Amino acid sequence: MTDAILSTHGLVAGYEPDLPIVRGIDFSVSSGELVVLLGPNGAGKSTFVKAIAGLVPIHAGTMALNGRDITHVTPHRKVAEGLAFVPQTENVFATMTTLENLQIAVAHLPKAKRAVAIEALFTRFPDLAARPSRLAGALSGGQRQMLAVARALALDPPVIILDEPSAGLSPKIVSEVFEMLKAINASGVTVLLVEQNVKAALAIASRAVILAEGRIAHEGLPEELASDPLVGKIYLGTAHHHQGALA
Amino acid sequence: MNPQFIMDGLITGAIIGLGAVGVTLTYSILRFSNFAHGELLSWGAYLALAVAGALGYLSAGLTKPIAPFSFGWALPISAVIAIGLTGLLALAVDALLFSSFRRRGSAIIIMVMASFGASLALRSLLEFLFSSRPAYFTKALQIAMKLGGGLRATPDQLLMLGVALVAVIAVHLLMTRTDIGRAMRAVSENPALASIAGIDVRRVIRTVWFLGAALACVAGIMSGLLIQIRPYLGHDLLLPLFAAAILGGIGSVPGAMLAGLIIGLCEALAVQAVGAEWRAAVSFVILIAVLLVRPRGLFGKAS
Ligand SMILES: Nc1ncnc2c1ncn2[C@@H]1O[C@H](COP(=O)(O)OP(=O)(O)OP(=O)(O)O)[C@@H](O)[C@H]1O
Ligand SMILES: [Mg+2]
Repeated sequence: MTDAILSTHGLVAGYEPDLPIVRGIDFSVSSGELVVLLGPNGAGKSTFVKAIAGLVPIHAGTMALNGRDITHVTPHRKVAEGLAFVPQTENVFATMTTLENLQIAVAHLPKAKRAVAIEALFTRFPDLAARPSRLAGALSGGQRQMLAVARALALDPPVIILDEPSAGLSPKIVSEVFEMLKAINASGVTVLLVEQNVKAALAIASRAVILAEGRIAHEGLPEELASDPLVGKIYLGTAHHHQGALA
Repeated sequence: MNPQFIMDGLITGAIIGLGAVGVTLTYSILRFSNFAHGELLSWGAYLALAVAGALGYLSAGLTKPIAPFSFGWALPISAVIAIGLTGLLALAVDALLFSSFRRRGSAIIIMVMASFGASLALRSLLEFLFSSRPAYFTKALQIAMKLGGGLRATPDQLLMLGVALVAVIAVHLLMTRTDIGRAMRAVSENPALASIAGIDVRRVIRTVWFLGAALACVAGIMSGLLIQIRPYLGHDLLLPLFAAAILGGIGSVPGAMLAGLIIGLCEALAVQAVGAEWRAAVSFVILIAVLLVRPRGLFGKAS
């Protein structure tokens, strides 16, 4: 793909030197896409996106952001270069306030622009604006997820990767999160989304990739995957009674 | 009971507190007990002594006491230089020793053992360079002033208490109000999250070493000026340093200082009440009691 904004080539990664979890992934996201990454528990989805963010050792292969090789760039430099990441768990600083979490996020900006950036985030996330001095650990699950996303958006990144942002949230908040992701993507940000919430994810995705045992098992348009019973059954862990909902 | 133990306790306590701030920062951000921290106090004192000696050699006027204190300009100037040098020493030890273990993801116990080794090496080097005979910044004697309430203190003592207070307030403001302070707290909570939040974790680690060493140097100079300079100066304070860091709550700067003062006062009280040979037991008893009753200390975060 010529306009790939983020890509990996033969990426092998894992926590131990001799135990690859991600086992050779060729993958790319084009500018403006919203790609959803699906797969059963333990497939290596989190490990893959953490490896892209620089949190898991790379054993082989390369990755590029905007055509520039970033395989061995440190995590904090990747952030500065426009790659934002919201991890699956522990994605805010619980012992620090909402405002402090955001102050950390905008620290790469020149001093004069920080207040404006934080103000913009507060306008976008009024729930956070209402509790600037609440400890992040004392926020509700949904508010915490909002804070994690706000933190990631602070530097106006061209690409944002989110690992199961809807996990553990009530259905009402989940639909808010998906609305928000759609809006973020519509504002021009390329989104790579790991999700277990297959139906909702496919509904907003422009493309879907299924991971199994550290490799890409399937790739296609959301409609195709949603209506393919075999894919649903084998890779998405959707039991029989979910099939109707998927189709 | 002679109330003078309060002044003795505050002075020892301030020295312990300054050292404990370094211990608590290293422990919370680098995640290991650095048993070589005491050596940074000793090195700080000797580096200041060496620089002050050199300054006095260059210009005798610098050793002329600044009234009402017992020392000349050579000491404050050499203190500033020694703070920088002690910071560089800590960075060098980290670069040579600890950073390679960190890169390999070594277990905490390996870091702790390495710090034991570093402690031994640093102390032996001091004895080799300066001999183990006690040394002094100044030979001038000072008359203690009456403070009221039966308390007496020399101008040097009051100055050093003021310096310790200012240093701790400055570090506390640094931790709570500045980018680097927030970054240190972020790394202390979650290094991986800190890195993807855009924080340069290696820079934070270097800052922690420098800051801890700088405070250790101040504590060493304080101890050297008010008591004496010996190669074992810092080593002998190791237990009180850790007791204060844990009593204060790991990661808490004001906690470490307050706990240092509490321990200093308890030591001085014990010396007066039961005898000097019990001084060393005080930190030990406090350490064990805190670990049993309230492991997160006075200001520590519940984990
Ligand atoms: N920190 C870690 N250290 C060692 N192994 C890990 C670690 N985290 C995950 N693994 C292993 O890596 C494999 C893939 O886990 P990963 O978290 O990437 O899966 P996932 O697809 O994100 O699953 P889920 O849907 O449950 O989040 C699993 O076998 C897991 O046990
Ligand atoms: Mg996962």
